[in-house]
Amino acid sequence: MVKFMKKMNGVFNASEGTTRFSFLKEQAIKTVFFFTAFFAVIVVLFILLFLLQDGYVIFEKVGVLAFLFGDSWAPTAVVPLYGILPLIVGTLLVTLGAMVFAVPLSIGCAIYISELASPRVKQVLKPAVELLAGIPSVVYGFFGLIVLTNFIRVVFDLPTGETWLAASVLLGIMALPTIISVSEDAISSVPREYKEGSLAIGANRWQTISRVLVPAALSGIAAAIILGIGRAIGETMAVLMVAGNAGIIPDPLWNIFSSVRTLTATLGIEMGEVSVGSDHYSALFGVAVVLLIITLIVNISAVTILRRLKEGRTAHHARKPFIPSSMQESLKRVGEVSVIAALILFLLEAAPWYFAAVILLVCGAFYFGRNRLSRKHIEKIAFGLIIAAAVIVIAILVIILQNIILNGLPALSWEFLTQPPQNLGRAGGIFPAIIGTLYLVTGAIAIALPLGVGAAIYLIEYTREGRITRLIRTGVDLLNGTPSIVFGLFGFAFIVLYLGIGVSLLAGQITLALMVLPTVIRTTEESLKNIPQSLREGSLALGATRWQTISRVVLPPAVPGIVTGAILSIGRAAGETAPIMFTAVIFSSRFLPNSVFQPVMALPYHLFILATNVPGASTNKYGTALVLLMIVVGFYSVAIIVRNHFQNKSRG
Amino acid sequence: MSESAIITTNNVNLWYSDKQALESVSMTIPKNKVTALIGPSGCGKSTLLRCFNRLNDLIDCVKISGEILLDNENIHATGTDVVMLRKKVGMVFQKPNPFPKSIYENVAYGPRVHGVKDKTELDKIVEQSLHHAALWDEVRDRLHDSALGLSGGQQQRLCIARTLAVEPEVILMDEPCSALDPIATAKIENLINLLKQDYTVIIVTHNMQQAARVSDYTGFMYLGKLIECGKTVEIFEHPKEELTENYITGRFG
Repeated sequence: MVKFMKKMNGVFNASEGTTRFSFLKEQAIKTVFFFTAFFAVIVVLFILLFLLQDGYVIFEKVGVLAFLFGDSWAPTAVVPLYGILPLIVGTLLVTLGAMVFAVPLSIGCAIYISELASPRVKQVLKPAVELLAGIPSVVYGFFGLIVLTNFIRVVFDLPTGETWLAASVLLGIMALPTIISVSEDAISSVPREYKEGSLAIGANRWQTISRVLVPAALSGIAAAIILGIGRAIGETMAVLMVAGNAGIIPDPLWNIFSSVRTLTATLGIEMGEVSVGSDHYSALFGVAVVLLIITLIVNISAVTILRRLKEGRTAHHARKPFIPSSMQESLKRVGEVSVIAALILFLLEAAPWYFAAVILLVCGAFYFGRNRLSRKHIEKIAFGLIIAAAVIVIAILVIILQNIILNGLPALSWEFLTQPPQNLGRAGGIFPAIIGTLYLVTGAIAIALPLGVGAAIYLIEYTREGRITRLIRTGVDLLNGTPSIVFGLFGFAFIVLYLGIGVSLLAGQITLALMVLPTVIRTTEESLKNIPQSLREGSLALGATRWQTISRVVLPPAVPGIVTGAILSIGRAAGETAPIMFTAVIFSSRFLPNSVFQPVMALPYHLFILATNVPGASTNKYGTALVLLMIVVGFYSVAIIVRNHFQNKSRG
Repeated sequence: MSESAIITTNNVNLWYSDKQALESVSMTIPKNKVTALIGPSGCGKSTLLRCFNRLNDLIDCVKISGEILLDNENIHATGTDVVMLRKKVGMVFQKPNPFPKSIYENVAYGPRVHGVKDKTELDKIVEQSLHHAALWDEVRDRLHDSALGLSGGQQQRLCIARTLAVEPEVILMDEPCSALDPIATAKIENLINLLKQDYTVIIVTHNMQQAARVSDYTGFMYLGKLIECGKTVEIFEHPKEELTENYITGRFG
């Protein structure tokens, strides 16, 4: 007892002596976290600044309006023309097409997962959708180039399958997981009371879904679609590989078999060949500015909708802005008429006649049969369509995986994994590319993790919601919405040239780190938010300081969440091509880099070059695609397993 | 009970996974009367209520045995259309749950899903139902405003109007006043008194005074069993079972 008292006294004396010191220490820690949090905002500003600075010349020379609305993009002609209208139109058309393809499928699939699927089916479907999200865009592009364009060429009897249609379908597939998971979330979080209320009146399941659940989840679904649009607009590699890339506006405008060129593809194709400081160089940065602004607007609107939704739900009801029902009716009618008009236009101009006949027949049958069908039949038809959507999504996943695995397996061998490439990658292996990719992601996560975790800690633990957190969160959202090719350009202009680091491993690591930073911040924030407030209060009530509370009580249980986020980020970084294309990689190298200032090989870029520039490397192409897929999917699976494991554990 | 029965249950047992929530419940619900189910929390009264319109079907792990007869037909018989059953047996929930639509659309929802399309017909149903639910005068000028802007009591009456609009035979009420203040509660209780002319009402309540005020018959439940059931006056003044008496006199609960 005496001993104990003595000890206690000792503690108190010590703490009195160090009060001032510990105060300073706390302040210093807080300041450090503040800077990590503010980093995201700074990066966004820097990106904008550097793009504007490099793009400024062209805006001045050509004029902003002429740049935006000039109808010819010919930067390498004798009299160079810098009008990006065809590129903007190309981007919009490809995105529109992608949504026409993806939205019905995704919403059908989301309804299936949230309302119809049995728990066991759900357990298979959700990871499958996540897997779809995990496939690297260059692998999609590779699949599109080899399988999809060929399919389109044969089916529609075209000279080439590299068309707007191909790009739209591919982008649509890539947008599926985003739209599915966000809308599924929205539908699942409609209060259960609505569902019970509707069923208790005697509405059947389909009526409940179509008249209560989906309308109640509408803003969430809208946000999902906008996020999908953002994803589609910002995508580079996949589009570039299948769109044909002729800088023309399709003629007629709805000619889906026309070649198109998007803003992103232009950057991806031309950035590597342009001479630094030329008008063309500046024009590319102008393109990047336009691209960035479009994606930022799209993403901010999605995020705003989602955030308002969340606040609306916690702050409880009483949102008023309902469109009056009379106006809803007329809006509906306008919508119906315009859809029919668009369909007729499309059928008259583009589709073969038998296709048109089938569509007209189906529409006609539906229109005249609608009032005669009993609601039981309508329910059956609707559920049939919904299940079909889910089946199609799964079929797409199976087809892609099966194609790559079956063709890739023969290429896998010990030599393939451990030898450097020979004869431009046609022979030999991909060892330097594997190692290069691992170097890149390790460095990226080593940079992004401390910054991201610090930022999240600042946001959750050190501040109340207010102007500063809103600013930082907006910065993070913007960074998250920035297309990967823009990171590539920024990395090239700022890190490679301005800082003078050169095309190197380090430049690639930093660029990738900036790209995954928002993911790290978000996942860390989520896991910190899940720590109950009572734990913090318990620790603070014992006289622990802020930092002691954070480091000993809050962080340890949040570690699994943080690790999950980190692994997801690694997976994402490993599959990215666009950010490293101009900052870090070389195509062929027999050796591994000696220092971080040398360029490296990387798997996604290797695959890209093999697929587009090296004829006759078909086995090695597939082998590379398979290895890349396995690495990325491996990281994702580990992340999902870690997450599920700890979720189950915490649920007890 | 001398009145004609609309619902009869025989030996109903119900399990959530392996936890038994109802144990051989047998009772009859007389037509055009108000029947109250009382008992301490977790005694199974809400579960029993949700059996009558098979809303328990929504929960995955529920198992049920015994028979429940509505108008002498077993509601679990194969071939029973659960949708039509729920049209006949309406329900008002503990927390008001208007859909995030306008007041008009909330009431019109039921007739619409059952196939009424004619606009004047719908207008008529909406007005009648709102009248019936004693809400018309308060909302007649803002039928197209959001239902979520109404007060809690108004929302609950809107939910009652929504139920009435499909012309059920039975109305189930699951503690309909537990989220309301005394004034709103009084309005709902008056309403229940009016409703029993045309409908059979079954109400679950925590509040014994409320049961005494509004009901003609009362069933007392405890730990999943129906302990006693009979005319409200008799249950409250001369309970046969000691448990019932203890509960009613407030010795536990």
